[in-house]
Amino acid sequence: MTAAATVAAPAVTTIAVERVSKWLGPVVALSDVSFAIGPGVTALLGPNGAGKSTLLRILCGLTTPSQGTVRVLGANPRTDLALRRRVGLVPQQENLFEQLPALEIVTLSAGLHEVADRAEAARRALGLVALDPEDGRPVRTYSKGMRQRVKVAAAMVHNPEVVILDEPLEGLDPRQRLRMIELFVELGSQGRTVLVSSHVLDEVERFGSQVLVLGQGRLAASGDFRDIRDLMDERPHRLRLRASDARRLAAALMAGGTVVGTHLESEESVVVDTTFVSAFRRAVARAAAAEGVRLLEITPLDDDLDSVFRYLVGPGGRGPERPRRAGSPGPEPRPGSARSGGR
Amino acid sequence: MALVYRLLLRTLVTRARLAALVAIGLVGVLIGLAIRAADGVSSAERTTAISRDLLGGYGLNLVVPVTALLFASAAFGDPTDDRTMVYLWLTPLARWRLVAAGWAAALTVAGPVAVVPVVLAAAVAGAEGRLVAAAAAGAALATAGYTALFLGLGLIVRRALAWGLTYVLIWELAVARISKGAARLSVSVYARSVLSEVGEVAKPLNAAAVPTSLLVLSLVVLAATAFTTWMLARADVA
Repeated sequence: MTAAATVAAPAVTTIAVERVSKWLGPVVALSDVSFAIGPGVTALLGPNGAGKSTLLRILCGLTTPSQGTVRVLGANPRTDLALRRRVGLVPQQENLFEQLPALEIVTLSAGLHEVADRAEAARRALGLVALDPEDGRPVRTYSKGMRQRVKVAAAMVHNPEVVILDEPLEGLDPRQRLRMIELFVELGSQGRTVLVSSHVLDEVERFGSQVLVLGQGRLAASGDFRDIRDLMDERPHRLRLRASDARRLAAALMAGGTVVGTHLESEESVVVDTTFVSAFRRAVARAAAAEGVRLLEITPLDDDLDSVFRYLVGPGGRGPERPRRAGSPGPEPRPGSARSGGR
Repeated sequence: MALVYRLLLRTLVTRARLAALVAIGLVGVLIGLAIRAADGVSSAERTTAISRDLLGGYGLNLVVPVTALLFASAAFGDPTDDRTMVYLWLTPLARWRLVAAGWAAALTVAGPVAVVPVVLAAAVAGAEGRLVAAAAAGAALATAGYTALFLGLGLIVRRALAWGLTYVLIWELAVARISKGAARLSVSVYARSVLSEVGEVAKPLNAAAVPTSLLVLSLVVLAATAFTTWMLARADVA
């Protein structure tokens, strides 16, 4: 996927990361990461341990990069205290001030960011995430999803231009998830820079956004989500088919050229390898109908995110944006994928 | 800054901490009662027992540093441990304001909890008014100094209680008592100097004058809070 998308320099750059590396003792958490993003929603995608939280912490100034520079709204997030009025963070950790009710926590956050009308701002922020400001229960009694929403409200209460969210959808039920995604999209459309990390592919797809893919501390891919999705579809896939006559179906698929290998497990089950998953999806139903075989089930065997990232960043992988060597120029934007930052 | 102060104040006061400190305070009262009840003891001997053993030994060497350690190390230690520090750290407030709020919060709790039992123990033991006042002054000054010292400890080390107790036992109670040079760097020595001079009782080894003691303890507070500010600005926040 050398042709995969790279994020073109946005018209307005709000977050600029230049050759950032971070070592935590002997562990390389981030390695030579560079990108620039502007207003709108950008998803930071990567499996657990990819370096997402470290990158977000650097962007908020919570830690320093071992190498490289970071600018958020043109300022150094580590040293520029005034910048903190313009940035909101939803950290990954669950802990809040456990003994306080939601309204008090969000009011506290408003106060810490020197918001003029704290109470009103807090009520508004809680309304954004559909929480009742009058709920006087301490947040320690809240479900994980409610706590996540309190964190989002606390991050939004000072009306920040840049919102950084570390796995904000974790613990939310599907309805809350949808509402939250709608909120992020709305915030992005208001001209804010919204950077959301996630390790769930399908979540990111729903942002309809630019994506930065981080794997093993490196920027493995970046660009429009559809390009990333295509890339993922193009990688080798292994699937298990259950059918009334698996042998016959496997033979038909081999003959049709959409699978490159088969392993018959039983008369009703076969494992197939394909490098053209989208073509395979179309062919398998046709082949089953043509052969008079009843297709019972298709199970992807390697569709977990880790295997996708292994493919993107592994040796010989087709990662679209290999880490650049020191002194080498940055990647050229892919023709047609260049976008201004605003959406 | 007032907001951070109130927040830290709320998080500092836990039942477990207060219960432990009330227990330590009650021990002092019991010692005071024992001194008062002792038969065949002259007034001078009683005063010595109160000033040296009860106020100097139990009060300024145990209750005050332990109380200050417990609350001051928790002021930034608790938010660091439960990872709510990120919310404090992301405020645009200057770091020195956060530290000042933390010190003030720790002092607000540790002050009464440390000073009241010491004063109460002195009064129960039958100390004269002047000695009771001296005990209050010495304990308050020591609390201020120790609180500033231990505030940064909670920020920079895990198990701050163990480190703090080690410091108190080794430095304050051992090294500073036998070495004149080390005594110049001991909070306890300056607090006991104030106690002895104001209370007009026997001076500790390596005692300093009251103005010197006040100056040094003020410098301790300033230097310790400046160091904590420096550490906070450079902290890696999880």
